[in-house]
Amino acid sequence: MGQNQSGGRRGGPGGGDKKDDKQKRKYEPPVPTRVGKKRKRVGKGPAAATKLPTITPYQRCRLRLLKMERIKDYMLLEEEFLKNQERLKPQEEKEDEDRTRVDDLRGTPMNVGNLEEIIDDNHAIVSTSVGSEHYVNILSFVDKDQLEPGCTVLLNHKVHAVVGVLNDDTDPMVSLMKLEKAPVETYADIGGLDVQIQEIKEAVELPMTHPEYYEEMGIKPPKGVILYGPPGTGKTLLAKAVANQTSATFLRVVGSELIQKYLGDGPKLVRELFRVAQEHAPSIVFIDEIDAVGTKRYDSNSGGEREIQRTMLELLNQLDGFDTMADVKVIMATNRIETLDPALIRPGRIDRKIEFPLPDEKTKRRIFNIHTSRMTIASDVNMDEYVMAKDDLSGADIKAICTEAGLMALRERRMKVTNEDFLKAKETVLYRKQEKTPEGLYL
Amino acid sequence: MVAKAAEKGDAKSVTEQQEKDKKKAEKENEVSEEDQKLQADLNLLVERFQDADSGVQKSALESLRNMIRSSTTSMTSVPKPLKFLRPHFDVMKEVFEKITDPAVKKTCASVLSVMAMTMSTTRESIKYKLLGTKEDIGSWGHEYVRHLAGEVTQEWNENAKDDAEKKEVLLSLAREIVGYFMGHNAEPEACDLLMEIENLPLLPEFVDAHAYGKVCLYLISCVPYVADPEDGHLLRASIKLYHKFNQYTEALRLAIRLNDMDMIKELFTTCPDRSVQKQMAFILAHSQVYLDLDESSDGYDEFMGIMSNSDLNTNHLALARELDIAEPKNPEDVYKSHLEQHRPYGGASLDSARQNLASAFVNGFLNCGFGSDKMFAEDGNKWIYKNKEHGMLSATASLGLILLWDVDGGLTQIDKYLYATDDYIKSGAMLACGIVNARIRNECDPAKALLGEHVLNKSNIIRTGAIIGLSLAYAGTNRADVLELLLPVLDDEASSLEIRCFTAVSLGLIAVGTCNSEVGEAILHCLMDRSALELKDPLAKMMALGLGLLFMGQQEKVDTVRATLQVLDEPFRTIAVTFADACAYAGTGNVLKVQQFLHICSEHFESPKKEDDKQADASTSAAPLGAAAAAAAAVEKDKKKDEGNDNAMKQGVAALGIALIAMGEDIGAEMSLRSFGHLLRYGDPALRRAIPLALGLLSVSNPKLPVMDTLSKFSHDNDSEVASNSVFAMGLIGAGTNNARLATMLRNLAVYHTKDANSLFMVRIAQGLLHMGKGTHSLSPQYSDRFLVSRAALAGLIIVLSSCLDVKSTILGKHHYLLYYLVPAIQSRMLVCFDEELKPITTSVRVGTAVDTVGQAGRPKAITGFQTHTTPVLLNYGERAELASDEYIPLTSILEGFVILRKRSTDHEMA
Repeated sequence: MGQNQSGGRRGGPGGGDKKDDKQKRKYEPPVPTRVGKKRKRVGKGPAAATKLPTITPYQRCRLRLLKMERIKDYMLLEEEFLKNQERLKPQEEKEDEDRTRVDDLRGTPMNVGNLEEIIDDNHAIVSTSVGSEHYVNILSFVDKDQLEPGCTVLLNHKVHAVVGVLNDDTDPMVSLMKLEKAPVETYADIGGLDVQIQEIKEAVELPMTHPEYYEEMGIKPPKGVILYGPPGTGKTLLAKAVANQTSATFLRVVGSELIQKYLGDGPKLVRELFRVAQEHAPSIVFIDEIDAVGTKRYDSNSGGEREIQRTMLELLNQLDGFDTMADVKVIMATNRIETLDPALIRPGRIDRKIEFPLPDEKTKRRIFNIHTSRMTIASDVNMDEYVMAKDDLSGADIKAICTEAGLMALRERRMKVTNEDFLKAKETVLYRKQEKTPEGLYL
Repeated sequence: MVAKAAEKGDAKSVTEQQEKDKKKAEKENEVSEEDQKLQADLNLLVERFQDADSGVQKSALESLRNMIRSSTTSMTSVPKPLKFLRPHFDVMKEVFEKITDPAVKKTCASVLSVMAMTMSTTRESIKYKLLGTKEDIGSWGHEYVRHLAGEVTQEWNENAKDDAEKKEVLLSLAREIVGYFMGHNAEPEACDLLMEIENLPLLPEFVDAHAYGKVCLYLISCVPYVADPEDGHLLRASIKLYHKFNQYTEALRLAIRLNDMDMIKELFTTCPDRSVQKQMAFILAHSQVYLDLDESSDGYDEFMGIMSNSDLNTNHLALARELDIAEPKNPEDVYKSHLEQHRPYGGASLDSARQNLASAFVNGFLNCGFGSDKMFAEDGNKWIYKNKEHGMLSATASLGLILLWDVDGGLTQIDKYLYATDDYIKSGAMLACGIVNARIRNECDPAKALLGEHVLNKSNIIRTGAIIGLSLAYAGTNRADVLELLLPVLDDEASSLEIRCFTAVSLGLIAVGTCNSEVGEAILHCLMDRSALELKDPLAKMMALGLGLLFMGQQEKVDTVRATLQVLDEPFRTIAVTFADACAYAGTGNVLKVQQFLHICSEHFESPKKEDDKQADASTSAAPLGAAAAAAAAVEKDKKKDEGNDNAMKQGVAALGIALIAMGEDIGAEMSLRSFGHLLRYGDPALRRAIPLALGLLSVSNPKLPVMDTLSKFSHDNDSEVASNSVFAMGLIGAGTNNARLATMLRNLAVYHTKDANSLFMVRIAQGLLHMGKGTHSLSPQYSDRFLVSRAALAGLIIVLSSCLDVKSTILGKHHYLLYYLVPAIQSRMLVCFDEELKPITTSVRVGTAVDTVGQAGRPKAITGFQTHTTPVLLNYGERAELASDEYIPLTSILEGFVILRKRSTDHEMA
């Protein structure tokens, strides 16, 4: 970096005219254009132009305060200036004028085309809807930062010059993953799991809200967590609670969604997913049932298998690859952590592994309390009986028992759920649970 | 704190047990068994605490205390015992008042103090702390100490201002807190506390050899953001610390920033280590600070040799050899016109004199400091005579650039031109003499000897060369003898306005930032004597600038002069005052001044003018092909403008002023870029001309992409002055960097402006600047890790930029030699390492982008994305170097310019 002298052209004076001439004619490669490359767009368009400077010590200290105040001062100045200007010399007229001029230059009607390749700062190859390709100008008022190969552009109808960019080229699949409405489940709906809640908060929420804690301590916050444990222990529930709590963008995917029909589509989807996450940072990506794509690699002749593995490799790269992802946190959930590829869950990619065990008695009681708090229960019901029982009950089982008991009461048109209902419900649930393992059949 | 909301909710659920509200009920369900037990325990304890028996009371208190202390918590929430004790706070306060046993009372006060932390906005924590036991404050945890520190500051600022006793009490508490912070790696917090209670002198008591680096770094980073007197305190406190730990070079940097000559001298003379002294001499040499040492003192000659910068040229040439760029270059080597895409219909109908002049400048800039070139070497005389009049002056002076810093060798080469018959050549040679002597201090004072007699020469042309030459040679030195030589020129009858203006600026440059009252008065008188008509001259503002330069960075000291300037007539008054303000607050980041300047910029002037402008614009755009027609239109426009010009001028000055003030710190610089965006959008055409210059000033030798893009856009503007200023600014932001992207842009611009000789001239100049010294120089006035600002360099830049405000009549007219005012700003980007005997050594260094490490825990990396090179190397803007091997220890922590390395050995281990 420090060494870019204009050297490299050492044409000595004694070299003779001919040689000199030759050297002069030496071709010099043009500087690569800055525009039109596929890249992660971190804050694009006008937002990037008005971005405020970053303030470096994240720690709470006076220096930070002073710097922030300085920024505020300048913002106030700007506000004052703009107000004055608008008062003294309204811009609308001028803006309208400019706009009509731009519209004139654009010409009507416009065509929609596809940007195939960008040649230099001012020229590109576009293809039109009929399939023909043209080498055309890019007009100067087009925002070149938004141009990238493959994007949809507006073309002048006569000369096909690029006169505008059509935005929003994200994969519709990905935009589907974005969670528009926060789930209703909160941390209060989780019985127990105190340690798990704390761990996930530390790893996922705090780095976004309080980066200074980590700076102070001199550590990098964890990038992601994996939640694992038997079925029905609240992994997805916790993720939902996180989504409910946070103001960050929450993207949720199920591992199986990442498996696509065509070669290369899966990895592409992963890339898109993380690009969207990066664009909307701070964001949280939640991948449920990660074992769908994240199983251990092995030699396989099936094209499908290999494609799944490639999808996982892309995932590996996105988690801890060459491009840093700041402010994107990943939560994964699985109930078969032992089948996952060790590379996927190594520290650095997934820093925290949070186990969700089957609930102990205390937790069971709290889960029962949560689910029965809105039921009308007869006085003869003794919860302890169910709590103390030695059966392996998961959170989901408990919920099932309560629901089942409620249903039974409903069947008999009773307004109260009795102990008998609970007993029956428990039996049914446990029976159903064991159904798939035909125990004792061959004994 | 963080979990206040949650905690509030919980507290409510505790008190309002039976509330039927759904949410609350849910919350309440949350309370686990353990919590209930804890709550019950606590309630019991509080009850027992209210017991009349003091023994019971005491034991209850003890267990309360233990419970609070032993409780652990996650990062975000309040410890549970504290949470549950909240409702009892008032009760406990009442009980506290009734306690009679002093020991119990004290313990109780301590507990209350901790509890108060979670309570309210009133400062009860500190109240009870002062009543409580004098035990170690750290025993209650870090968060408590932090909270206490906050209350101390508030208390100090509100109640203790004039209460000596209270101050004493608070101070002792503050000492305790600072001691605790220092011991727990929380240096910034300790500094904050001391800053808030204005007791920085206490700092050395607490800082140890491990912490002082961090503490000083933190204090120094605060300097640009605090108000005027405080920054001095911070710097002085840091100097003390560095001094305490024998970091003389660091302390010296700060002393230079303070501009405190006594301090500098004291540091230099008290330093016990000879090699460190040499290193300090190098730093002083770069800052152009000259110490009068005792001649009998040890190593006098050596120090003087270093401080006079006499080896600058030799070292630069050595660097050139090392980097294999000693070969002289032709202007064509940077134009690279074979790469330009020629338009098929374009003809070579160019003003060749213009092009020759441009080549002279480019040749000078390109081979700057290398001592050899191709044009003069082939046939200097013939080359000079290819130019006309002032062109000859500039062409001859470019020889000075080539021989920059080489006093002995250079003067002999220039000598022959000094005796030329042509006044212009003679004058140019004098200018060259001055340029050669820039930054160098020579015992024989060749510049003064050669030029001194000519400042009152009959010919105004010769005067020009001599005056400017003198100012360049002695920029920033405030030499009384040189000033005396120049002062009479101001009053001399024979001096033309032009000469007077140059003299004023030159005086300002020599005495930059010294508030020299003699010079100030002389310039003021000269200004007062000028008629209104004379003040209309585009050069007249230079006189005001000269006055302003005297007060560079001196802040309030400018006020008297400002008051005096009020007698002048508008619009010149505003121009003069703005210049004075802009210079006085240069680099301070003073937001109030920025606001004032923005106000000036937001005025709009009479509308009839605009019609004229529009007409003129229309005529320009109507005949875009005929350069002559356009020029004619421009002349016409100029005439019409006349007075509107002055109004516009003050806006231009104000815009430059904003850049000048904001360049002191990064945040301001970045934020003012935004302001300039608004100015460009809303400003009058005249203001828009100044904006590119201001942008250029903000990032000199720092080709940032956004700035480059903006300038590139405006380099194609319809208004030719905006365009040429943008082009010049492009040269400025790339000065000495060889930036390939800028080079391509400029090449394209050369094609774009083929028809317009003026614009093409500017493009060529910009190309010359871009490749200045074949990419080894920088024009940035900031040095020493961008902490210090060279006033002379800054002054030189402003002089050139403000002359560009009226670019048609100065740089593009016959005063192109004003460009040589850039010379004081030229500095080498090299890093050269010496051993203790000042022999150059090669060692490997890592060069990378500097990272802000203020307030980070541990030992953070200071650079990122580094590459390893062997010295000598070049450092770009915003880059830092560090030694790659453990073989040596640098004697200064800022690896820039000349650095002395000491071989690492066990007995020389530095802290």
